[in-house]
Amino acid sequence: MLGFIIQRFIQAVGVMAVMSVIVFFGVYAIGNPIDIVIPPDATQEIRLEAIRRLGLDQPLYQQYFTFVSNLLQGDLGRSFVYNMPVLELIGGRLPATLELVLISVICATVLGVSLGIFAGYRPDSWVSKTIMAVSVLGFSVPSFWVGLILILFFAVHLGWLPAGGRGDTVMIWGVAWSFPTLNGLSHIALPAINLALFKLAMMIRLARAGTREIMLTDTIKFARAAGLSEATILRRHLLKLISIPIITVFGLELGSTLAFAVVTETIFSWPGVGKLIIDSIAVLDRPVMVAYLILVAFLFVTINFVIDLVFALIDPRVRHGASA
Amino acid sequence: MYHQKFLAPLAFALGLTAVTAASAQTLTMGVRGGPESMDPHFSALGSHAEAAKHIFDTLVWSGTDLQIEPGLATSWTAIDDDTWEFKLREGVKFHDGSDFDAEDVKFSIERIPVVTGPTTTAIYVRRVASVDIIDPYSVHINTDGQAATLPNDFIRLFIVSSEAAADYSTAETAAEGFNSGAATIGTGPYKYVSWEPNGDLVLERFDDYWRGMGAWEQVIRKEIPNDSSRLAALKAGQVDVVNYVSSVDYLALQQDAEIDAVIGDSVYIMNLQLDQREDTPMVRANDGSALPENPLRDLKVRQAIDYAIDRETMVEIVLEGLGKPANQMMPVDFFGSNADIPMPEYDPAKAKELLTEAGYPDGFQVDLYCTSDRLPGDGAICQGLGQMLTQAGITTNVNAISKTVYFPAQARLEYSMFMNGWGTLTGEASYTLGSLAHSNNPDVKLGAFNRIEYKNDEVDMLLQTGATMMDEAARRAAYEDAMAKVMADKAYISLVQLQTVWGTKAGSLTFEPRFDEDTLAFFITPAS
Repeated sequence: MLGFIIQRFIQAVGVMAVMSVIVFFGVYAIGNPIDIVIPPDATQEIRLEAIRRLGLDQPLYQQYFTFVSNLLQGDLGRSFVYNMPVLELIGGRLPATLELVLISVICATVLGVSLGIFAGYRPDSWVSKTIMAVSVLGFSVPSFWVGLILILFFAVHLGWLPAGGRGDTVMIWGVAWSFPTLNGLSHIALPAINLALFKLAMMIRLARAGTREIMLTDTIKFARAAGLSEATILRRHLLKLISIPIITVFGLELGSTLAFAVVTETIFSWPGVGKLIIDSIAVLDRPVMVAYLILVAFLFVTINFVIDLVFALIDPRVRHGASA
Repeated sequence: MYHQKFLAPLAFALGLTAVTAASAQTLTMGVRGGPESMDPHFSALGSHAEAAKHIFDTLVWSGTDLQIEPGLATSWTAIDDDTWEFKLREGVKFHDGSDFDAEDVKFSIERIPVVTGPTTTAIYVRRVASVDIIDPYSVHINTDGQAATLPNDFIRLFIVSSEAAADYSTAETAAEGFNSGAATIGTGPYKYVSWEPNGDLVLERFDDYWRGMGAWEQVIRKEIPNDSSRLAALKAGQVDVVNYVSSVDYLALQQDAEIDAVIGDSVYIMNLQLDQREDTPMVRANDGSALPENPLRDLKVRQAIDYAIDRETMVEIVLEGLGKPANQMMPVDFFGSNADIPMPEYDPAKAKELLTEAGYPDGFQVDLYCTSDRLPGDGAICQGLGQMLTQAGITTNVNAISKTVYFPAQARLEYSMFMNGWGTLTGEASYTLGSLAHSNNPDVKLGAFNRIEYKNDEVDMLLQTGATMMDEAARRAAYEDAMAKVMADKAYISLVQLQTVWGTKAGSLTFEPRFDEDTLAFFITPAS
């Protein structure tokens, strides 16, 4: 087990190092951020001074080494645009993204798996057919459009829910969360639905396919022959057997939604990290981009690691195979 | 982030009773962009200055039409070639109750070069050599040579408190001190409550403001960068006013009785720029082979391009009427604009004829580059322009791209024909002509944004002498003359002047649109 963790850790460091190089050099190739942000009446001298202050006059490899040596001391650098430590900037936005993503991914999974099992268990009922038809919509309609329609219908037309922004927050463990307040929840609702739709559709399809496959196997036949109730069969046997692909997808979706909820965050003006990163890209704020993508790489490696551990917990074959 | 810790219990209490934000005493503004810091000296970005104007004041105020007016300074005079005297307003209070005086002016000016970020505010004080305090309410600003437009430079020079900001005036400490509110003490109409980067700026009325008390007890400035979302927030009643309504939405709003549109002229003018280097990268013969010389250096070719552009159609079709044809690089009434410049004609036959005369009867091929995400309609104007030029015989490949890619490449001189907007934010010609039309010459600090190697010796001379003329009428004449010469050379071809649209709930607010597109809560009043 320890060897497994160490191996994963080395893998993570490798991924992050490669990521930092690609981003660092990639952003450099686009051009000098100064030329985007410099005011139009700046003189040549002022422009050079601004470049020098950000250290952009140094050769690229030297800029990279400065970055890495600061990183090793735990300093991810300061944002060009906000002149704030990058970690503080990202850390301040992370709770907003975290609560939005967790709520939407968990809702999508619980609801999607239940509907999917039903659709697989009773494939011929009209309810199942409706569920499957709706899931096609979830897949095929672009999420920015759904977001705008949600705003138009629920916020502008009906006026039930706010059109965007984050609601009132409460401090828990020194972090501001908005889900415990009614006002906060009303703000979360629309963006969470928007984010959840695609995942919901995917979970329905995964669960349905798994259910249809497992229902035909001997396991289920013997369970039925043993006189177990249908509910027990579904809960104890079916759910366990279809959960491996669902957990894998859950983890990957959680990661990618955390990292790239950009579209939804932009449309709903949700003050999360997605909005921060897209704004940083627009002005080539390299410290924020590099730090963010390194954190994302770290996040994915961690999630994959946790998924492997969970596999071992629920699937005896994995558990015993590892110890044998 | 910092301040929320203190506000949270209150917010929690309010959250449970689910109050709505919109009360009569609160103005909520939905804006496209926001400040980058609470330190007013950190950035020269328009949206940064706009936010700062709520909390801080400037020595010189720029009015609705960008005319300069007394602000914290009541008057200014040039007492000799390199000294300006500013008389300061007496009885002005900072938000913490302390008095505003000359010490704060000197402190603010000297602080700028130390704490500025990459969108450098050093431009405001680039001509300042030193500041002498004569008495608490007058200062002498010594400049490096004659600086005729110094008061114009000062329209975004914000005055911070020399006491409150004393400990927060290095590059490392400034953001911390101002974002926490400790140093965010100004003389402006509103006091700072809280701010989150890219989020909400919350302000509270300052009752002792020298211009008088504002109409709103509380002002919330919400950043909503997406145009559609911003308008939706207005329609849903979450915000009271939004800026930058897109031209497509503007068409729809005309059918909507619940929303009023306020239209204002913008300082931004779209300019087509034609590379004047002998060797230019993006121009080829029709078969892709190299041309013996850069055709854009030929005046006849440039005139042909001008004749090929139908500005009326551009405004009517591409911008949905939200603009005006432009014949020079600044709006017509600005200091240094020339009223005698004729509006260019649209005459495609004449364009073909001129191309033939220049030796290009079959035209040539060129790559046109423009921004597509910076100003309303820029990408669409670019497409229209490409079609018009192609019709006239110059095969134009349109590349409307992100400003993130466009400006760095433009600075590396990689383009031959390119278009972007230019806003004359100071309202006078030295800002625009000095940067674009003078040949690029660091020794005289002019021409830093001349990316086409345009050089006209007469124009250079006029701009150099104009900058030193303390006599206003003579200076105006010099700039008007320079403008006429630049536009006649057609290396810069001005296309259209943009207009900006604000949206408000019908009949709820009144305000006068500003030329610089600022949305300022103090100047917005309830309709009745």
